[in-house]
Amino acid sequence: MARSVWKGPFVDSYVLKKAEKSRESGRNEVIKIWSRRSTILPQFVGLTFGVYNGKKHIPVNVTEDMIGQKFGEYSPTRTYYGHAADKKAKRK
Amino acid sequence: MSDLICVGAISGAFGVRGEVRLKSFTSDPTAIADYAPLFTEDGKRRFDVTITRPVANGLAAHLTGIATKEEADAMKGTRLFAERAQMPDLPDDEFYHADLIGLLVLDTGGVELGRVRAVHDHGAGDILDIMGPKGETLVPFTRHAVPTVDLTAGRVIVDLTEDDA
Repeated sequence: MARSVWKGPFVDSYVLKKAEKSRESGRNEVIKIWSRRSTILPQFVGLTFGVYNGKKHIPVNVTEDMIGQKFGEYSPTRTYYGHAADKKAKRK
Repeated sequence: MSDLICVGAISGAFGVRGEVRLKSFTSDPTAIADYAPLFTEDGKRRFDVTITRPVANGLAAHLTGIATKEEADAMKGTRLFAERAQMPDLPDDEFYHADLIGLLVLDTGGVELGRVRAVHDHGAGDILDIMGPKGETLVPFTRHAVPTVDLTAGRVIVDLTEDDA
């Protein structure tokens, strides 16, 4: 069942505080968080979070199309290396 | 940067007419044929690839030099490699994972941090997985965090702020 709209999106309060602090400082640093359950809000766009996966903090660069998802979706808990083959990486 | 890059593997024979079941590791599975000729790991055998159709767990394909089911069965497990030169050039700020893996990683002060072990993309931008004496470090592949990528010199320079480590 979907979450009731009147409650608004769930975000752990410390995530909001850390994001606000980082935005005010203007430094482009990785914000370490453990809250995989928090929803990605519009004010997080442009920030980089280090989302804990149980072992390490995975860098998550928040973009507009990620709004409404949970942080945990971008920080997998299982490792798979696969083959490099012709896969490409773009520096943003 | 190695000259041969693994792009697929033969997972067995398909049918009785000498076709093989090909497992492709490329972004677009059928693009494996574009990188032909393919080679075995030791570079001794060379194959041209004709993909016939998609099948369960891969692609059915004809490889030159493989004409019977027995020959195809004998090739089971063989990994197929393409020459790096067969891959098209990329625009600025775009790199093949195969080129990045293994590069030496230095910080902005010139201190060696390790080597690139893998490049991940979990849906929130590419990440360099750096393995060094202090363990594993994950760095977002952005201009801010990775200001220099020098493929010729075989090194990348990363700008680690305190919280990245």
